[in-house]
Amino acid sequence: MTSLATSSQMVTEYVVRVPKNTSKRYNIMAFNAADKVNFSTWHQARLERDLSNRRLYQEDELPEAGAGSEFHRRLRDEARRRKLGIVLREFRAEEQPWLLRVNGRTGRRYRGVKKGGVTENASYYVFTQCPDGAFEAFPVLNWFNFTPLARHRTLTAEEAEEEWERRNKVLNHFSIMQQRRLRDQDEEEEEERGGRKVPKKGGDRDRGHGDRGDLRIHDLEDDLELSSEDSEGSEAEGDKVPKRKAPPGGRKKRKKKKGSEDEAFEDSDDGDFEGQEVDYMSDASSSSQEEEEAKAKVTKEDDGPKGIDEASESSEESEEEKPPEEKEEEEEEKKAPTPQEKKKKKDSSDESQTSEESDIDSETSSALFMAKKKTPPKRRGSTSSSRGGSRPGTPTELGGPSSTSNAPSGTSTSSTSTSSTLRAAAGKLEQGRRPPDPPSAKRPRVDPAPPSGKSTPSSGEVQLTEEAVRRYLGRKPMTTKDLLKKFQTKRTGLSSDATVNVLAQILKRLNPERKVIGDKMHFFLKE
Amino acid sequence: MSEKGELDLTGAKQNTGMWLVKVPKYLSQQWNKASGRGEVGKLRITKNQGRTEVSFTLNEELANISDIGGKPTSVSAPREHPFILQSVGGQTLTVFTESSVDKLALEGIVVQRAECRPAASENYMKLKRLQIEESSKPVRLSQQLDKAVTTNYKPVANHQYNIEYEKKKKEDGKRARADKQQVLDMLFSAFEKHQYYNIKDLVDITKQPVVASMVINSKLSFSMSSTHHPKLSSFPIWVPVENFCRELPTASISI
Repeated sequence: MTSLATSSQMVTEYVVRVPKNTSKRYNIMAFNAADKVNFSTWHQARLERDLSNRRLYQEDELPEAGAGSEFHRRLRDEARRRKLGIVLREFRAEEQPWLLRVNGRTGRRYRGVKKGGVTENASYYVFTQCPDGAFEAFPVLNWFNFTPLARHRTLTAEEAEEEWERRNKVLNHFSIMQQRRLRDQDEEEEEERGGRKVPKKGGDRDRGHGDRGDLRIHDLEDDLELSSEDSEGSEAEGDKVPKRKAPPGGRKKRKKKKGSEDEAFEDSDDGDFEGQEVDYMSDASSSSQEEEEAKAKVTKEDDGPKGIDEASESSEESEEEKPPEEKEEEEEEKKAPTPQEKKKKKDSSDESQTSEESDIDSETSSALFMAKKKTPPKRRGSTSSSRGGSRPGTPTELGGPSSTSNAPSGTSTSSTSTSSTLRAAAGKLEQGRRPPDPPSAKRPRVDPAPPSGKSTPSSGEVQLTEEAVRRYLGRKPMTTKDLLKKFQTKRTGLSSDATVNVLAQILKRLNPERKVIGDKMHFFLKE
Repeated sequence: MSEKGELDLTGAKQNTGMWLVKVPKYLSQQWNKASGRGEVGKLRITKNQGRTEVSFTLNEELANISDIGGKPTSVSAPREHPFILQSVGGQTLTVFTESSVDKLALEGIVVQRAECRPAASENYMKLKRLQIEESSKPVRLSQQLDKAVTTNYKPVANHQYNIEYEKKKKEDGKRARADKQQVLDMLFSAFEKHQYYNIKDLVDITKQPVVASMVINSKLSFSMSSTHHPKLSSFPIWVPVENFCRELPTASISI
């Protein structure tokens, strides 16, 4: 290094060296100035590759042999990929973004993404000054832009959409996240205690955690208020159902398997349960509980038409399905409430679109019991396929052996009358239901009176007779929910499923005309 | 020895200042050819009435460019390169290194950004012209051949592969309907390996005519459902067998 001093300038010269054999690879780590990164506060830092995308790149692993596998599956997949020209990108760990954690687990986190096109047209060199005054230049291989990761809880896309719909109604935006946090805490407490806290506005509508694996037979009075909201709620959030079929089952084991239920979740600390159970407080939009009710209702309603509308064939079929399913119900009820719950929710997502047509007779108790054993591949109007599908449906979910006995028996049952099967089913269901009752304290509001009580209506101003129903239907078209409203259990002295039973039979006898008004199926009688 | 993933923060703590310089391609090429200790040139910093001017002079021996993009030429590179200094304002830039043993260290913070520009000169213009000529040539070129190409495929009466195939087919013969129990055994053992089979694959395995396979299948009440398997919505009919009991009495099979 030489220096010249003339009158007004200082000139210094340095030698520039480009070392040849560096073992180090130089990269640039760029932070946004607005993040105000202060290195003096960094005590300790860890820089690792962010491998959270690895799962996306793995093909989902189907078993290679044994149950669930296919002959030549891999060959066939490869052939298909070649035919379509799909080229799979493999997961390379060196190409993954960086994850920088500063100051341990509670400190800040940054994600570093490679910036492309840095070395295409010009090279970047880093000049450092050596102790001997010379400059050394090292080429820069990669440029990474590091952005800070949010530690606070954020809304997922679905939650954000819901909130967007409510933006005109919600005035206090701060409470949104607050409530969510409260809810999370409450969920945890509930699980421990088995009780329920209701910290929400729409107090008595809260049944978010009700369906804890058993089918709840709701008191139909409360369902009636939701005549219009149910269907819209179930449709709007039908798409959320598949995601949420994991939560009710997963919630039980939540403590053990944090964040590993759903594939797409990262192992984040704060956002573990973002996508799960959403219990809204307001009455205006549907809460999760409404949604579950809607689903329960929809599944109930759906099986109604089978028993009543398509008179001979489907009723026989549904009857045949019922006995094997009753038996299975009992076994499986105790065995695996969770998969059923999943199935129930999965099915209702299929059916949620058709809730309008299926409005007949949620009162049919067969519907109530069928809801439990709803078969996955059910199709509207194609009973035969669903019939064929129902048999394999149950085994795969519950694991082979139990279904052998049931499958052949399903085909061979003779047709029995609807009412006796329903009654038997009702009886069995209630017996089966009693053991799981104690753990869930507040739930069953239905009094466990045997359904035989329906034949003796005690004093009440309104009696559930054919005459009464005919009167109502003659006056104006009514939906089943409206009909139920008229025959409230408190006034007729019947239990809710008894009411349902009776009303179902009455309607069957009357065979009223049907009309779709405003997306709901109405019945009416012409004089 | 720090553990894997640990970032060494000494450079940041010491506030080691560094410069980030953008250098043209030809210059970095020449630098790569440096010999000895790697001296490539001299950096001159002039502080002139408050302004700082930085300039880089390339060494004599590195100034001869011998090839551009693979083609041999002989041009002399310009020697003077003033640096244009820029601020680091919008970003906080740091330099981190990855050593060959996967040790990560933060080397320092960038305090100055600069761009190395060649001083405009005849040499540079020539160099640029050559580069542009090189890059504007099309990648693919058509060439005329003198002779026709005759070493490729000739027409053949029957391909070797086809001949073999037909021979094999003759050998295998027709698919005779074998004994029912044998066929069932074959099927059972096949289903022990995999759960789902395509009917065509079963035919291949058992070498039975398709109709016979179907009949056997139906007698055994296999369930055929394409909607059942999670991924098979677009596939032909499968024959999933849920559960299997080998002890099927022979009486139940009647074809």
